[in-house]
Amino acid sequence: MENIIDVQHLSYRYQDTDGRPALDDISFTVRAGEWLALVGHNGSGKSTLARAVDGLLPFSEGTVVVGGIQLTPETVWEVREKIGMIFQNPDNQFVGATVEDDVAFGLENRQISRAEMVPRVKAALDEVGMQAFAQREPGALSGGQKQRVALAGIVAIAPDILILDEATSMLDPQGRRDMLALVQRLREEKHLTVISITHDIDEAASADRILVIDDGKLVEEAKPAEIFAQGERLVHLGLDVPFTAKLKQALQDRGITVPTGYQTTTEMEEWLWQSLSNT
Amino acid sequence: MAITFEHVGYTYQAGTPMATPALSDISFTVPDHGYLAIIGHTGSGKSTLIQQINALLKPTTGKITVDGFTITPQTTNADLKPLRRHVGMVFQFPESQLFEETIQRDIAFGPQNFGVSEAEANQRALEMLRTVGLDESFAKRSPFELSGGQMRRVAIAGVLAMQPKVLILDEPTAGLDPQGRLEMMTLFNRLHQEQGLTIILVTHQMEDVATYADEVAVMQAGKLLTCATPQEVFSDPAWVQSSDIAVPRAAKFAQRLGERGVKWDQLPLTADQLADQLVRQWPGTGAKHD
Repeated sequence: MENIIDVQHLSYRYQDTDGRPALDDISFTVRAGEWLALVGHNGSGKSTLARAVDGLLPFSEGTVVVGGIQLTPETVWEVREKIGMIFQNPDNQFVGATVEDDVAFGLENRQISRAEMVPRVKAALDEVGMQAFAQREPGALSGGQKQRVALAGIVAIAPDILILDEATSMLDPQGRRDMLALVQRLREEKHLTVISITHDIDEAASADRILVIDDGKLVEEAKPAEIFAQGERLVHLGLDVPFTAKLKQALQDRGITVPTGYQTTTEMEEWLWQSLSNT
Repeated sequence: MAITFEHVGYTYQAGTPMATPALSDISFTVPDHGYLAIIGHTGSGKSTLIQQINALLKPTTGKITVDGFTITPQTTNADLKPLRRHVGMVFQFPESQLFEETIQRDIAFGPQNFGVSEAEANQRALEMLRTVGLDESFAKRSPFELSGGQMRRVAIAGVLAMQPKVLILDEPTAGLDPQGRLEMMTLFNRLHQEQGLTIILVTHQMEDVATYADEVAVMQAGKLLTCATPQEVFSDPAWVQSSDIAVPRAAKFAQRLGERGVKWDQLPLTADQLADQLVRQWPGTGAKHD
């Protein structure tokens, strides 16, 4: 599969005087259609990296190529056409007085005619299950509804790449599951490439591949199961420890020999059942 | 400080055509030095409920007692100052309320508002910085050059500087990374254990409910479904299902093993409780109690 994003030797300092760069010689690629998770503790540089890819930071060293176009001051608008971003706090990204105005905003920016805009807004709201809220004020919605409206705004402009910057971290557990399921569905239907910046283990588990960022450096790159096998160390990477790893640690502390590697809850349940039945 | 709600109801914009009932007939008690978690879906009334405790919203019906101090629909704002000094409220994303030029001045602002001298307020600010895990070198810095997690600590230090006896926390760990969440919850637990603060925690984190709370209040559509120990609330699968609440991961996992015939003395709510019970049943450990 082709690489839709190709980042080489990217470095960034917020100010020339900063001792340590916020991004330090980062190189990675993302395949079209892939779901990539970026993890790291708060302040590690993962959001900075996402902003650099979207042309929101004027980095001086390295190259970013998105969909075959090298990111430069001249191409930044072309590159941004390809990327939709959703942030942690949906209240910070609403501009419209009503839900449908807000979804239409991105289309207005692209000088789409009203005749085309109206059906596209409606279709986008349908897609995320928010059509009934079209005339409502965005501020009055629940957190999960707000993020769905933000997603509709992105569906309307049909980008190739969706970047979720801790977009589920303010949602309750049900809202988070709904949001992830919706992203997964849209990804399949629209052939989206997804980059999610997250601390949530379930969201990271949805990814095909995880990049771990620490101190502005890319320190690890692996499949979720390989990353999750690190148990308690995951907290230092800015991820939750999976429940199965916590349970294994608790059992080990009590003198029980546990399997190595990462187990899903189903695998863990099976192993425990076998062990307990083994009398 | 004990807190008692008696038949409390609250309607937004009461007496207007826009009247929206948000709480109805809420009764419960939090004992002095208690740790109550409040759970429920978005819009169930959790935030409206906690705002009654320091009378940011006054009940439309019923009565609230906070350590002998009574709030009724007739209570006037002039009566509320002594109450508010004792009930510290940490809102969601409290860091957005920082405003002073230095961290020390920001923390000292609250106590000075309640008549504490500048010198003493500044002294308290330094103490509270340490309490929240930041050293004195932060005192003269601007709060706006801190990381999000550090800003939140400063905001919480500002609430603690008023020396409240009750601490109300509205999703205090939202948006923090797992390390930051753990440090924050450990801090609150320490204040609860060492200084005897009564804690009221609004949360979606069922693991925190199981680990820290003595009792859990479950809100749904403005009503209090139940207020009981986490063990009582989470151990009734039929009730949990019908009330549409999430259970801690350990409890969910234990229930799955239970369906395959593993017996529990009582439903484990944390990984440690689960491991304790598993070890007792483990073949070859010689600790089986039959």
